[in-house]
Amino acid sequence: MSEDPKQRRWRNPIARWGRNDSPDELPIQEWQDPLQPWRENRAYKVRLFRIGHFRYYWKFRGHGSRLWHRTRWWPTRRRILLLRGGYNPKTLRAEKTISDKRPVYWIMAFALMAIMPFLVPQNLTNTLLSAAAIFAIYAAINLCWMLVIGTAGIYSLATYSVVGAAAYGTAYLSIQFGMPWWSLPFFGTFIGLVFGVLIAIPAVRLDGFYYALLTLGLNELCRVYVLQSRTFGSATGGLYGAETYIPQQWSSEHQLMLGYYASVVVMIMALSLYRLVDGRRLGRILRMAPEKREAFAEACGVNYRRARIQVFLISSTGLGAIGGFYAAHFRGASPSLFGIELVSLGLAMLVIGGMRRAEGVVLGTLIVVLVRDGLVTWGPIRLILIGIIMLAAVLFLRGGLFGIKPQFRAWRDKKKSENRSTRAEKGGEMLPEESTECRDKDQVYFRRFDKMQRDFLKTLVCDEVIEEHRRQPLGQHSEALERLLLYFRRQPQRDKYAIQAIEPFKAYRIVALSGHRGVAPREVEEKTYPSQAAAYHGVFLRRVQDLLET
Amino acid sequence: MAQIKIFGYTDKISVKPGDDIAFHVTADGTDTADAQLVRLIHGDEHPDGPGFIEQAMDCPANGDWDVKKQFTQVGSYLTVADPDGHLRLDGSFSLFAFVHPTVPQWGTRQAILGRWDITSNEGYCLGISQDGYLEFWVGDGTDMDYIRAEVPMLGNQWYFIAASFDSNNGHATLHQCSVSTRYNSRLGKVAPFDFESHVRETFRFRAKNSADIPFVMAGSRDFHELRGHFFGQAYCGKIDRPGIFERVLLAEELESIKAGDAPPGSGMVCYWDTTAGYTDKGIGDEVIDVGPHRLNAAGLNRPNRAQTGWNWNGRNDSFRLAPEEYGGIDFHADAVIDCKWDVIQTLRIPDELKSGVYAMRLRAGDGAGLAEEYIVFFVRAKTPRAKIAMLIPTASYLAYANEHLSFDAQIVQSMTGQPPIVSEIDIEMYQNEEFGLSTYDSYLDGQGVNLSSYHRPIVNMRPKARMSSMGITWQFAADLSIIGWLESRNDDYEIITDEDLHREGVDCLKPYNCVLTGTHPEYTSERMLDGLEDYVEDGGRLIYMGGNGFYWVVGFRDDEPWCMEVRKLDAAMCAWRARPGEHYLQSTGEKGGLWRHRGRPPQKLAGVGFISEGFEHCQPYRRMPDSYHRRIEWITEGIEGEIIGDFGLAHGGAGGIELDRYDLKLGTPPHALIVASSGGHTDNYVLVTEELLYAYQGLSGTQDHRIRADLVYFPAPNEGAVFSTGSIAFGQALPVNNFDNNVSKLLHNVVNTFSSDGPIPGERWVSRERQWR
Repeated sequence: MSEDPKQRRWRNPIARWGRNDSPDELPIQEWQDPLQPWRENRAYKVRLFRIGHFRYYWKFRGHGSRLWHRTRWWPTRRRILLLRGGYNPKTLRAEKTISDKRPVYWIMAFALMAIMPFLVPQNLTNTLLSAAAIFAIYAAINLCWMLVIGTAGIYSLATYSVVGAAAYGTAYLSIQFGMPWWSLPFFGTFIGLVFGVLIAIPAVRLDGFYYALLTLGLNELCRVYVLQSRTFGSATGGLYGAETYIPQQWSSEHQLMLGYYASVVVMIMALSLYRLVDGRRLGRILRMAPEKREAFAEACGVNYRRARIQVFLISSTGLGAIGGFYAAHFRGASPSLFGIELVSLGLAMLVIGGMRRAEGVVLGTLIVVLVRDGLVTWGPIRLILIGIIMLAAVLFLRGGLFGIKPQFRAWRDKKKSENRSTRAEKGGEMLPEESTECRDKDQVYFRRFDKMQRDFLKTLVCDEVIEEHRRQPLGQHSEALERLLLYFRRQPQRDKYAIQAIEPFKAYRIVALSGHRGVAPREVEEKTYPSQAAAYHGVFLRRVQDLLET
Repeated sequence: MAQIKIFGYTDKISVKPGDDIAFHVTADGTDTADAQLVRLIHGDEHPDGPGFIEQAMDCPANGDWDVKKQFTQVGSYLTVADPDGHLRLDGSFSLFAFVHPTVPQWGTRQAILGRWDITSNEGYCLGISQDGYLEFWVGDGTDMDYIRAEVPMLGNQWYFIAASFDSNNGHATLHQCSVSTRYNSRLGKVAPFDFESHVRETFRFRAKNSADIPFVMAGSRDFHELRGHFFGQAYCGKIDRPGIFERVLLAEELESIKAGDAPPGSGMVCYWDTTAGYTDKGIGDEVIDVGPHRLNAAGLNRPNRAQTGWNWNGRNDSFRLAPEEYGGIDFHADAVIDCKWDVIQTLRIPDELKSGVYAMRLRAGDGAGLAEEYIVFFVRAKTPRAKIAMLIPTASYLAYANEHLSFDAQIVQSMTGQPPIVSEIDIEMYQNEEFGLSTYDSYLDGQGVNLSSYHRPIVNMRPKARMSSMGITWQFAADLSIIGWLESRNDDYEIITDEDLHREGVDCLKPYNCVLTGTHPEYTSERMLDGLEDYVEDGGRLIYMGGNGFYWVVGFRDDEPWCMEVRKLDAAMCAWRARPGEHYLQSTGEKGGLWRHRGRPPQKLAGVGFISEGFEHCQPYRRMPDSYHRRIEWITEGIEGEIIGDFGLAHGGAGGIELDRYDLKLGTPPHALIVASSGGHTDNYVLVTEELLYAYQGLSGTQDHRIRADLVYFPAPNEGAVFSTGSIAFGQALPVNNFDNNVSKLLHNVVNTFSSDGPIPGERWVSRERQWR
């Protein structure tokens, strides 16, 4: 190598001290000023915005020294409201948030339902009350349906046919044998149970599309049967004349009102059933074993088949009872119960509100029934409107109306990271908006310091430094190499390079530490190095590369 | 087939012929292992040395051993034996305690006080939920009912907590109050937290209290099919003065207990006075119940005593001054003191077995890596015959036992100046919390580990082990280089260990003319230090073969010599620092920290003391003018030139790793001579913190003259003498060129002279120097 007289050289301070395996001097590049990045970076390169938000929702203050009596929903251990106590990170004030506000909304909704008949305008009372009764009954049916389609995740479309069968059966019993109205739900229960067994058996073997097709076929079978069968009123377009719980001598307004309240009671019962199944052990088992994940559930020791049969039986029993009530409410049943349009309308109700949640079912049903039965005057266009709403829900909402909140949050997070990526530098200083998410303000400063440090260190990487390290990975180094090494050695443990001895003094491999107690290092490459020194240099090269890449 | 792994430990570390030694072994993937007793000669496999050397020895225990998988209880607990079932509280009851949780938001449930069975959901318990809220829960065998505080607990704050259950109306009441003061907790008064919470709910049922559930503090009972019953839900933090009443304590009564008054007598079932039992000599594991039934609690894996209590006021720094302020008992979920495995084999040490370093070598499968284990122990002479003894620094082995520095300490690469080189065994040790921690690690809650024992496999007290963070051998394996050198001489040598020295004092050293230490005898108890000092004063000759020796104060309890305690504090090179007020050893009652800070710098014994450390480059010694004096010519006899030890298995030099220096101000005897000194150490060598008053630039190897190893010699009373090498790397330079080199030559000269009877040459030259040139 020819000597360049202008080439700067580093002299080893320990050159005179006895060992002759370290270099006495080495060529190095121009000295770089470590304070240079501090002079160059005196302001953010992007515009800064003010940060900070008002809180617009209520938080309870802490209780402190007062004794807090908490009441529960008898006989469970659930508190009336699920509250989460904590400290406000900005003021350290003790405060409580309602983690689950649904009970509050339900109570408000029930109160509204209770006073609804007295609020509607006189001229709309008839339409709205009968529509409201239909809403409540359909909501009850859909809740039972949701247990199968939502909680268990099985695409059964035979729900309305179970209701229809029970309605027809009980209406028939009432007409032929004069069964009283109060007995109809019980008979309905029995019919529902039989139907439940019928549709549960194939559900164990079939899944997805095939099962949906089977249940749709069942639906169609029933429809064709009742359309043809004289017994079930093929001539009259339905079977009518069953006993009803509504006293006929009452005024029509009072009759409607009774019908409405009775239906609401049925809906509340269906809600309780939904809560009991979905919120307890059975529901958890079912949610753990949705379609395509049965094998995993089974491997975990979950008997999902049994749970599915159970949920079919429970939901069908409920549907049967609702069918019995249906017959007593409408004084009979009509073939439209088996109609494909009712099935699709029902699906619309589920989808609009949001799958797998009771409030979604009820709201979806409310919207669809309101449009279909409340806006009768609009004519056929209202059905198109339902279609549009459903289409919109499917196209734009991932979890129906009640999925809007999480969906909005996810969207906001996406926007946030998009904005961040245009504004923030990777590994650069934290922007004010980022710093709000950092609990330890020391880290905010560390990011600034680290950025300056790396900007400077990058200017030190050159062939001379790499060659110097290759010749002597350990020992006294020139300032540039020493600074690089000191920086690398101080990195946090996570993903920090280390070396694993495959065979001491023969084979080494580079690994990365986990930085997590008890978790083994991971391999980063297949390559083996023949000596400690070669492995040290391999680690150095990777670290230099990582530095240059940031 | 599962990967074969085999690990073990012995019940004793130092034995004599005729003693029984028991082997505790666990194995994965095999049920037999081939056992062979070996005498260990050399460990370091560095290509510049002789490599690994062992000698197979005959013994009745050789052959196939039946081994099995064994389990270890991890975590420290207090258990209460309650044969009469006083703690089966079927009526109304109250529980209370002062607590100082360290990681309430750790993410697992932590039981503080109770009688709870995790698998069957039975009993009652006061503890902390996964998300860090104080909870009181009961179980009836199928379901559980619970009540939780309104605000989460904060780590490192003192609380008074209480729970009561009223069997008349099913009311459960939970109380959480802060008892933090200006001194005792992390946060002061200016942080506007309201820690207080009082909650009452009505439980649906009462606790079912099966007879066999134990009452536990800091844990509850769990079950595993293979393992049977064990403890889980470990708690991290302190508990102070817990109590139990068989009635509902009134708000005023709780208020008065919280204020520090003695609890009322009526209805008391138990009240563990954690401040009772302190003596001038420390405290044991038993926690005293001053209640009517005297149900003392017993410690498992050594819950840490002598810790500050809730009422510590910053004025007193020791339980010896104010025991009533030291009620804190510290619990850690990852503490392991004793694996308590079943004994797999015992061996009566044969009479013909020469004193030395031995290991039971176990091999299964391919017999390599994790399938090979050396269970090391030391055999002393029944009747000392040799003139030379090596004092094995077992206390220091304990200090470094299963250190996790490469994995957990961010600073270690900066300290050692290199990326770590970990082995398969290091990784296995890191993944397996049953092997416990060293005094260089912290528990998962961030508190330093102050206890270490050899009743667990110590994977770095193995002949082939290398210190992963430094790329060299360390402690035991490095000391085998001295053993190898002793073996290369024709003289006999015998072994004694720190444990023997601690137990027997100077008597175990007296039979020998010359005693050599290990390369790094850093941890020393008072009795050990006294023994060495008395030995030298009495005419013994000590060769201090290492660096950074006689540094930390350690303590052992007489009944449990396998467990060592150290408290790291003040200005010192330390992996962690004890909290304020927790500076005295629970094992002995003495102040911990450095011997230097207790008035006994290592210079007073060895002439040199710790000055610097660096782990990537070592330098040779160069002879100092003193070595030309007639008094000590014999030391350098036959050595050519001035450079000594420009080679070595530890980064290529005999002077390095940890360095000790001559210092008159710290008690080096004024007549001591510096034979040779190392120098030109790299900037990875930085001055030790105990030397620093102010930190300023230029305190590293290339700029500070104090950073060096001094080879120091001085004669002592009664024909005694001390020779110190002042460098850890010295020992690792001995094996180079098959023990034939100038470091080895120098040591031969010293050992030959020291071990011979009669005076040491050089005593004739006592006049004032009058020089012509």
